[in-house]
Amino acid sequence: MKRTSEESQSRLPDNSALKQQQLPAYRLQLTATGVLSGFFATGVFCLGVGIILILSAKSIKEIEIKYTKICGNCAKLREDATNFDKECTCSIPFYLSETMQGNVYMYYKLYGFYQNLYRYILSRSNSQLMGTDLKDVGTCAPFSRSHDGTPIAPCGAIANSIFNDTIILSYNLNSSIPIEVPMLRSGITWWTDKYVKFQNPRSKNLSIAFAGTTKPPSWAKPVYELDQEDPENNGFLNDDFIVWMRAAAFPTFKKLYRRLNRIQYFTEGLPAGNYSFNITYNFPVTRFRGEKSVVLSTLTWSGGSNLFLGLAYTVTGAVTWLAFFSMMAIHLMLKDRKMFFTQQ
Amino acid sequence: MGWQQSLQESDASKVRTIYLNEPLRNSFCKNSISTAKYSIWSFLPRYLYLQFSKAANAFFLFITILQQIPDVSPTGKYTTLLPLVIILMVSGIKEIVEDYKRHMADKLVNTKTVIVLRENTWKTIMWKEVNVGDIVKASNGQFLPADMVLISSSEPQVTCYVATSNLDGETNLKIRQALSETSEMQTEKQLSSLSGKIECEGPNRHFNTFVGTLYLNDKSPVPIGPDQVLLRGTQLKNTQWILGIVVYTGFETKFMQNSIKLPLKRSNVEKVTNVQILVLFLLLLAMSLVSCVGAILWNEWYGEGIWYIRMKEYISYSLGFDLLVFIILYHNLIPISLLVTLEIVKYIQAMFINWDEDMHYRRNDVYAMARTSNLNEELGQVKYLFSDKTGTLTCNIMTFKKCTIAGIIYGNQSEKSDTDIRKLSLSPSVITESCEFNDPRLLYNFENGHPTKDYIKEFLTLLCVCHTVVPERDGNNIIYQASSPDFLLTDEAALVKGMKNLGFVFTARTPTSVTIEVMGENFTFEILNILEFSSNRKRMSVIVRTPTGNLRLYCKGADTVIYERLSEDSRFMKETLTHLEYFAKEGLRTLCVAYADLSEEEYQQWLTQYRKASTVIQNRMQSLEECYEYIEKKFLLLGATAIEDRLQARVPETITTLLKANIRIWVLTGDKQETAINIAYSCKLISAHMFRIQLNLNSLEATQQAITWHCEALGTQLSKENDLALIIDGETLKYALHSEIKRSFLNLALSCRAVLCCRLSPLQKAEIVDLVKKHVGAITLAIGDGANDVGMIQMAHVGVGISGNEGMLATNNSDYAIAQFSYLEKLLLVHGAWNHFRVTKCILYCFYKNVVLYVIELWFAFVNGFSGQIVFEHWCISLYNVLFTSLPPFSLGIFEQCCSQKSLLAYPQLYKISQAGNTFNTKVFWFQCLNALIHSFILFWMPMKMLEHDMVLQGGYTTDYLFLGNFIYTYVVVTVCLKAGLETQSWNKFSHIAIWGSIIIWLVFFAIYSFVWPTIPIAPEMAGQVKMVLVCPYFWLGFFIVPIVCLTLNLIWKSIRNTCKRTLLEEVREMESSRAQKFHPTIFRKRVEAKKVQMIFATPPHEVVLQSESFDQSIPRGYAFSQVEQAVITQEELIRSYNTTKSKQDKVTMDSSHSRQK
Repeated sequence: MKRTSEESQSRLPDNSALKQQQLPAYRLQLTATGVLSGFFATGVFCLGVGIILILSAKSIKEIEIKYTKICGNCAKLREDATNFDKECTCSIPFYLSETMQGNVYMYYKLYGFYQNLYRYILSRSNSQLMGTDLKDVGTCAPFSRSHDGTPIAPCGAIANSIFNDTIILSYNLNSSIPIEVPMLRSGITWWTDKYVKFQNPRSKNLSIAFAGTTKPPSWAKPVYELDQEDPENNGFLNDDFIVWMRAAAFPTFKKLYRRLNRIQYFTEGLPAGNYSFNITYNFPVTRFRGEKSVVLSTLTWSGGSNLFLGLAYTVTGAVTWLAFFSMMAIHLMLKDRKMFFTQQ
Repeated sequence: MGWQQSLQESDASKVRTIYLNEPLRNSFCKNSISTAKYSIWSFLPRYLYLQFSKAANAFFLFITILQQIPDVSPTGKYTTLLPLVIILMVSGIKEIVEDYKRHMADKLVNTKTVIVLRENTWKTIMWKEVNVGDIVKASNGQFLPADMVLISSSEPQVTCYVATSNLDGETNLKIRQALSETSEMQTEKQLSSLSGKIECEGPNRHFNTFVGTLYLNDKSPVPIGPDQVLLRGTQLKNTQWILGIVVYTGFETKFMQNSIKLPLKRSNVEKVTNVQILVLFLLLLAMSLVSCVGAILWNEWYGEGIWYIRMKEYISYSLGFDLLVFIILYHNLIPISLLVTLEIVKYIQAMFINWDEDMHYRRNDVYAMARTSNLNEELGQVKYLFSDKTGTLTCNIMTFKKCTIAGIIYGNQSEKSDTDIRKLSLSPSVITESCEFNDPRLLYNFENGHPTKDYIKEFLTLLCVCHTVVPERDGNNIIYQASSPDFLLTDEAALVKGMKNLGFVFTARTPTSVTIEVMGENFTFEILNILEFSSNRKRMSVIVRTPTGNLRLYCKGADTVIYERLSEDSRFMKETLTHLEYFAKEGLRTLCVAYADLSEEEYQQWLTQYRKASTVIQNRMQSLEECYEYIEKKFLLLGATAIEDRLQARVPETITTLLKANIRIWVLTGDKQETAINIAYSCKLISAHMFRIQLNLNSLEATQQAITWHCEALGTQLSKENDLALIIDGETLKYALHSEIKRSFLNLALSCRAVLCCRLSPLQKAEIVDLVKKHVGAITLAIGDGANDVGMIQMAHVGVGISGNEGMLATNNSDYAIAQFSYLEKLLLVHGAWNHFRVTKCILYCFYKNVVLYVIELWFAFVNGFSGQIVFEHWCISLYNVLFTSLPPFSLGIFEQCCSQKSLLAYPQLYKISQAGNTFNTKVFWFQCLNALIHSFILFWMPMKMLEHDMVLQGGYTTDYLFLGNFIYTYVVVTVCLKAGLETQSWNKFSHIAIWGSIIIWLVFFAIYSFVWPTIPIAPEMAGQVKMVLVCPYFWLGFFIVPIVCLTLNLIWKSIRNTCKRTLLEEVREMESSRAQKFHPTIFRKRVEAKKVQMIFATPPHEVVLQSESFDQSIPRGYAFSQVEQAVITQEELIRSYNTTKSKQDKVTMDSSHSRQK
């Protein structure tokens, strides 16, 4: 405590402004001009962005075809789980009135399928999917082991309930011979999934690698035979499988299924004309009162056709402008009163 | 000290025996003390116990335990444990720091040194090595290390003086006297040959009792009483050395026995917060129940068909299990970090109080001290202020200011310049010497043969002679010490000092005479008799033989008693009376001064009567007083003195400010009514035009009648603030606090602007505070400096002690210690108001941010079939409170300023905002919760709508639930941080760091966390999220729009309210921010005043139409005597034992011989 010649000096010699609570501070004052100009600017910005977003969303072409009712027979067949080995196909013709320019993506969409159930999301084994320990099925209840105790690979409810319809898009070029539209089944997963989260067990032969495990009960084929055409697209690295394993946030969701291979007739995209979906109907949805559909869509810079964000911006802009005008009015009204008060 | 005894009666412990010079036979507790809470070993268990006895912490512990049940926790096993551990660690560090300080302080005390007789020689040892039975030698100024019995001392009559201010706060010195049996024991040889024993009662907490017996071998036992006991914590004064035998050590000393734990005070805000936490808990239960019902309904509807999860296997789980799942899911609704945040915030706020240079009393180098940090925000809500008078409002320094002699008034009339000086010296450190009488006219008149010359001479002589002051030469200086230890700073010393400045120097006192020096000439007055002061007599007289050989009686006393006894020849009565009134108006204490000439025979006649009376055994005092009465008559009036009971610096200003801040001030004093009223006038608590209700009654019925009558007279104005002052004395108060009339008395008191309670016992002070506290429901603050204020300081919501005077008891029992009454202004108006705003904002914000994030889980439950799935990653959730949004509450709680301290002091009306507590109550809480609900809904709904379509990424990739979760989580962090920014009215650099820093911390964490898997086996579902989220254009579009939508609502609401219902605070703030442009404080002040005037006219002033003598408007005159009667040694006895003409050495021998003769 050295306080000898302090009295004469400034009052805060060894005391920082912090200790005396006198730090320089900007006082946030909601002044009329500040608030009003802020509102005005926000309004202009939001309206602008909103209109741009709406316009770009409008430029997107999207077709969705629900096929649960159209393929009513198949749906009925699948309602009974014992018919799992009976094949059922269904063809849905449709007419594309306008060309879908650029990259076209094919999605399947499920209604009323709760991929976000707590126990469903829990029911997977990340270490198994990493290929490090195939027998690690501890977290996969109730699909961890088959009746005889063999571990299931891939285990868990998510894997077991994989979407197993096959959808093939055909183009009727001359209204007689349908051409199968070339589709890519790769490049539909997140990079991290394909290269970090999902790994096949290290082995030259997948079927040997998966020895000692069994296929999930709902699957027709074991995991190493998912793709007959491309041997690289098998095991845990199957793209459709990886896509499915990302559990969707809502009970109605889309999953990327295929993307257009822009060759032959389709270099520009999907030309207008007659098409049909040929669907091998395997995935039961009527049991949980759900529906299935297939979606074809182009994308712009902001993604798919979603008016919401555009509308949100527009509405926000409009509301802030409304607030701006009404507050301006109030302010002008009160300003007179205040000046009268000042003069007193 | 009645209240202390009533606190806790210690067990009648067994008698202890102390053997002299036989250290092996005395085994008692050690003299080392420890006031620390923990030791190294006891820290962990004790700390954990303390922490988990808090409901909130126990709740989180309970959740943590629940999470260990397999399958029950949707949020992982350790996600609550981690933040809980972090929080416990943070507050644990705080505890360790505090306890370390205590350990250091203990060490300092324990290692002080003292001289002790060991093995027949004096040895210097440390305090902690002192044992019971040791003979201790202490010298002047030393603190005593243990309780001991005085054996001998250097002073006459083996007395010694001790300052007990550490114990009881009384600033006067106490006299202690050793037994004559031991007074000779002074040399080592004598002491070490001492043998025998002391028997005494066991350790207890009563300062003023001690029962013991000294058994010296070959001598008859002698009783030892409190007069022989020197206590630990007291300081030896005016005594060269003493010897004592230690009887109690360490924790058994009375000092330590009295250092009881303070009752834990909780602030109003804290109580409300606890209720709100409970409400949140109920909300949590309600949400869990809703979710349970939702789950049941959903399972009913879908259960059968959910083939992909085999629902049937799970439905077997009971309702109770589901409930647990949801409680764990939503448990974060209760802000886990709130308690620790508040703890730290308040700790730092307390540090700000301690650091405040404006509350730094430079003269004693005392800073304000927040002894507790619990009550910082309570300081902003004080409605009733209970103040002690002596030492709190006043400095307890008397100053001779004015006098009237023979009808002419002297003394500096220029009151104006005086107040100017006061205003200039805003910092109260500049208090000059206590004599301020400065009127050259007096001496001029005296020296130049003014007609009243003789009166002046007589007047001054009287004041030099008629007193009980003892002069002490210190070089050329004479220091006047009031002779009796029971009145150290009295008016008398002030008068004598005043006389000295006028050239009438009182130089020496012998047992029979007084010498004064006038203009270089010495006169000796022989003192024949001293007619003592008592509160009954209200006067004191001396009978002297003047140097010329005449007999004369000098008397000074209260005007009423003097006037009664004036002879018919007395002159100047009328003038003096008007002057007395004038003095009283200025709040000065007056004494009338008169004399009477006695004839020789008259005196002899009286002397025989006096001798008779002084030998009476029964009622001696009374018969003496009757005898005095006989000779105190036929006075000739000389004039009157006016003494200022000096107020502390800036007390009137402070009181005016506090009154403006709508704080009611009650003065509770043990002093006399007249003095109390005088002080109330001089500190502007009562103004001259105020009506006064005085209650001085002596029976229950009369009191009841009077109170009822006054209440009825007030009629509809009852319980509203009237321009009245209520004055009541302790006796009447005793009746008024009877349970039947308590209520109406309180109503009456609450109707008055000022309340003055005089002659109160410490217990009564506490009772009044309790009464107001219990029945009014407003926040009370008690401020005092002495031991008699401890009760009310502990009773009030906030107790403030005046520190810096030697008294420590009040300070030790207070919550805040300040050095000057005027610092209350800054403490309440600035620190109190700020802290209230800060703490309430911090609490509301903590509630807000938790509700915002965790209610989103409920919204998500609606789309996931109430399955208990969370939309965020586990660890993100659990780190929300301790990492991503932990800084904004701190910046709000520590740095927020509603407006500058200058404005807060300039416009005390601003205090009403925090005082009314409108910024923090159930309504505000629900409003904030509702706001949080709306925000959380927007924060869930908008991202949901954005992502519902699933096609949001380049390359057509589809997303998952956590993608949504990360969107929402980011938006929540941004919104919540910006909301803190909106709440922050004063942005300094820390606010910027807290707000922008938090957002950046989350984004950085998010980026790193997405790459953790699989290197570290946590958060597999987070892997790769950041790459997808940050490149998604929707994310950035939402990043902008979602917080804007949330906050625009708040902003619009705020702006509208700001424009339509502008409060004073906003006007002040607006003025502050426009200060740079053009600032006319006067114009603004006018505006404020104009507003005030309007307000006053809105509620017309209450006119009290009472025509009764009970509303007394005349000003009573307080007479100036503050002596305490019935001291251990009478005043006369003491004065007569002093002979200042002899050297100290002689004195000792003379006095010891004197005592031997006895």
